[in-house]
Amino acid sequence: MRRHSRRIFNICYRFTGNRTESQDLSQDVFLRVYRTLGSYRSAHGGFATWMTSVTRNLLIDHYRRTKRDRVTDSLDDKMPVVENKESAGRRPDEQALLGELSGQVQSALTRLSPELREAVILRDLQQLEYSEIQQVLAVPEGTVKSRINRGRIELARILQQMGVRPS
Amino acid sequence: MNWTCEQTEARLSEYLDGLFQPAEQTAFNHHVNTCERCAPLVAAVARTLGSLYALEPVEAPAELESAILTATLGAPNWRNLRRWLKSLQSPRFVYSLASMAATIVVILAASGFSFRKPKLADLAPATIYRKTNSAAHLAYGHAVKVVSDLRVVYEIQTRLNENDQNPSTREQSIPKNSPDKQPGRTDNTNPSAPKQQNRADELGRNLRVLALECPFLSGSIGERRTQ
Repeated sequence: MRRHSRRIFNICYRFTGNRTESQDLSQDVFLRVYRTLGSYRSAHGGFATWMTSVTRNLLIDHYRRTKRDRVTDSLDDKMPVVENKESAGRRPDEQALLGELSGQVQSALTRLSPELREAVILRDLQQLEYSEIQQVLAVPEGTVKSRINRGRIELARILQQMGVRPS
Repeated sequence: MNWTCEQTEARLSEYLDGLFQPAEQTAFNHHVNTCERCAPLVAAVARTLGSLYALEPVEAPAELESAILTATLGAPNWRNLRRWLKSLQSPRFVYSLASMAATIVVILAASGFSFRKPKLADLAPATIYRKTNSAAHLAYGHAVKVVSDLRVVYEIQTRLNENDQNPSTREQSIPKNSPDKQPGRTDNTNPSAPKQQNRADELGRNLRVLALECPFLSGSIGERRTQ
């Protein structure tokens, strides 16, 4: 459960950029999974893929629900994010640079349209295969490839607009 | 193979994911190396992809797991209670419970407890012990009697079987009828049945006592006996 909760939380956080919302959404994901566990069929893909699909649907619902009253630069976005403990071995200056870049990339991600954002998150952050992303998003493979490609290019342009030049 | 800027932008992810065929890869490289528009785009997207890969997983809040458990299974107390109740569904516990209930019912039934009109006093340990002890003794006495009866029946059956197997002894025990015997008259021989023998012995004893007490009758008694 710890592995799944961490993975779901990361998807939610990369999509929303907000820890509090991500925690609430993660709870909602597990609650929905718990209630709809009977509808899961292994023939439709792995359990993780099904769970990711549930997460994606909740994230889209959440995005639509909060579209009007969304505040782009919330206080929470500016708060430092606790990264994984694996980064503890780096030098302080490297850590600071990575932390800054991480925040900028995260900020750029949240500026992407939700369709492109979810595709990039699933492919480049969750390392899902094209077929798995196709199952999660319920769109043809060509659409998946197109969204991932456009998402990456759009993200690069946003980072350029922000004056960020990743090394 | 000719390669255009539109193709570069449309298939950039395929290049980054290493999905090009060798001929496509050659044409792509040739175009990007010579195109001032595509080269910066490819470099920027490649750097962006590198920065995405460099993003490390975010540490989830410590309270997330407990919050999820509370949201799905309820509060900790209820969760523990539910887990405990779930453990009661194991077959071993059910069998133990059933055997225990059966034992209690048997003990109560043996103590004469009335299930139709239950009384609290009947459930007192001393009452249960006294009634159970009494019932046990009655049952023991009944069992002893049954065993004794069975033994008698067995012995009778054994003797009957022995008689069936040895008919000679049976014939000897049956008195033979004398051919010239007349009803109401004795022939001074042994009576035909043990009851008659006893009666004859008793009569003989009485006659002897009468002869001793009344000698004047001894003649007539003697004459009568000789006839």
